[in-house]
Amino acid sequence: MNWLKGASIAVVSAGLALGISQMMRQPVEGQVPDVKLSRTADGKPDLNGIWQAMGTAHWDLLDHHARSGPVLELGAIAAVPAGLSVVEGNQIPYQPWAAAKKKENYENWLSRDPEVKCYLPGIPRATYMPYPFQILQTHNNDILMAYEYASASRVIKMGKTEPPPVDTWMGQSTGRWDGETLVVDTIGFNDQTWFDRAGNFHSEALHVIERFTHKSPDVLDYEVTIEDPKVFTRSWKIQMPLYRRQDQNAQLLEFKCVEFVEELMYGHLRKKTGDEKPFAGARMRWP
Amino acid sequence: MRIRGLVSLAIAAILVSACVRVAGHDQPTETNGAEPATKWTPPRTPDGQPDIQGIWTNYTNTPFEVFDEKDQPGLYSGDPDGTGRGTGPGFINDSFERKLSKGRSLVVDPPSGRVPIMPWAEEKRNYRLGHIQDDWVNFTAWERCITRGVPGGIFPTGYGSGYQILQGPGYVSIVYEMIHEARIIPLDGRRHVGSGVRLWNGDSRGRWEGNTLVVDITNYNDKGNVATNAATQRVRSIPQSEDLHVVERFTRVDENTINYEVVVEDPKVFTAPWKVAMSLNREPKYELFEYACHEGNHAVPNTLSAGRAKDKAAARAGTQ
Repeated sequence: MNWLKGASIAVVSAGLALGISQMMRQPVEGQVPDVKLSRTADGKPDLNGIWQAMGTAHWDLLDHHARSGPVLELGAIAAVPAGLSVVEGNQIPYQPWAAAKKKENYENWLSRDPEVKCYLPGIPRATYMPYPFQILQTHNNDILMAYEYASASRVIKMGKTEPPPVDTWMGQSTGRWDGETLVVDTIGFNDQTWFDRAGNFHSEALHVIERFTHKSPDVLDYEVTIEDPKVFTRSWKIQMPLYRRQDQNAQLLEFKCVEFVEELMYGHLRKKTGDEKPFAGARMRWP
Repeated sequence: MRIRGLVSLAIAAILVSACVRVAGHDQPTETNGAEPATKWTPPRTPDGQPDIQGIWTNYTNTPFEVFDEKDQPGLYSGDPDGTGRGTGPGFINDSFERKLSKGRSLVVDPPSGRVPIMPWAEEKRNYRLGHIQDDWVNFTAWERCITRGVPGGIFPTGYGSGYQILQGPGYVSIVYEMIHEARIIPLDGRRHVGSGVRLWNGDSRGRWEGNTLVVDITNYNDKGNVATNAATQRVRSIPQSEDLHVVERFTRVDENTINYEVVVEDPKVFTAPWKVAMSLNREPKYELFEYACHEGNHAVPNTLSAGRAKDKAAARAGTQ
């Protein structure tokens, strides 16, 4: 897509609208972005590209100060950076039982966080993990979001869909366009995924509504409404920017992390050969 | 809106002379990557690519290789009756009626229909298959829930042989139902990643040659397998080396059919390149379900656990 974006910007800056009028159709009134954005052949906002969140929402959606990492030997390397809340009002409205469970999750992070075991991340967590993801937008058709983490992906079906027949880790996503915004409605989750590394969680009644809107050619506004009447007292919102990866020849590589957790999960069941290198006894600070 | 492309039928007519070289194949006519001789021309995406999008499956009754009486189906797949057939219609009853063809073998080159595997690689496979209770590295990458590999991920298996192809400007993506793999293939002519980057599924680079999508894949790691599923029989669990080089060709020959061909070259593992040809059949109503493989992987820990239980029993027997 870089050629298209580059070409669009060049043409616009030269004051020429020739030949690209279809791609540059006027946006909806009242939502006019301050920069001309590239459009797909059918006039939709063009979200194609490799995107990544910055910030520390993957550690904790809420305000958090820096703290040491869990493994003493890793020193500053795995320490947790500070970050400001991406949740509206800096509060997740848990029901009392759920607030207690969240606290318990936080205190038992390593044994409970599905990310430790390389499990599928769910939505919205997949979006703001510290790995890039790629949006591939087909014309008048499905939209693919592929995540580098664990080779997770989802195909967002545009238009009407049948109710999901089974619960899944990544849910069933249905998309529609609301003016300049891609709205993705996802249901059909299981209760196994988390929102971050701080123990924020949900039930299988989770309903996620994401809104992707261009703020500029290389920045998307990502807004998420979370509903789960079994866990929260009301719906709540996440908002953060997503940035286009500008690296030359940016591409998703593999982070097939199963290989990195096999020793952790199955090591006690491996046949001992006598050639094993002993693990240095890592000292845990927490949890 | 889809725009019908104007594809030169003259070129198609010239290229079709390469047809029907190998008999007994899974599809009615063997095209060997050439343009079809039909008048059907694929629709185009807005950026001018032949449109191969949709949901495709490739269940088949054609066996992967031609059977040889020296073969040991029980060893390869734990299924003594496993050879001589393909995947069948899929062993999960999904109510689709599939007309499955039965050809000689999916391997069309060499003409013997046999993959030219080096002896060391067969020995390694035999060791691995015989020692899955010792260590997870002896399982195939599929059983470990890492990947079915490329091209292994498109070799038809008994269930989950669904693929969705999506195309956006400058990219083709193939979403594999089995282990939720989304392969993204850039078409912009960029070079492969540097040789220091090794990947389970290699690094894919695509280009259109007429109506054929040609994908060149390099930069493999040496941990994966060329094939992982039981239907591939003797080739299952054969290792891949870092020298593996794969070229895939996708040609949509009519509304409902993509001719798929792949040439596999790995001078450390095979004595010669070999080729598989099959059709991908459009099944718009087939649904790709999430295959959360690793999240539900009981096979690996249970198999290892059984191995340790055997060790204990053997130790007890030894001390008595």
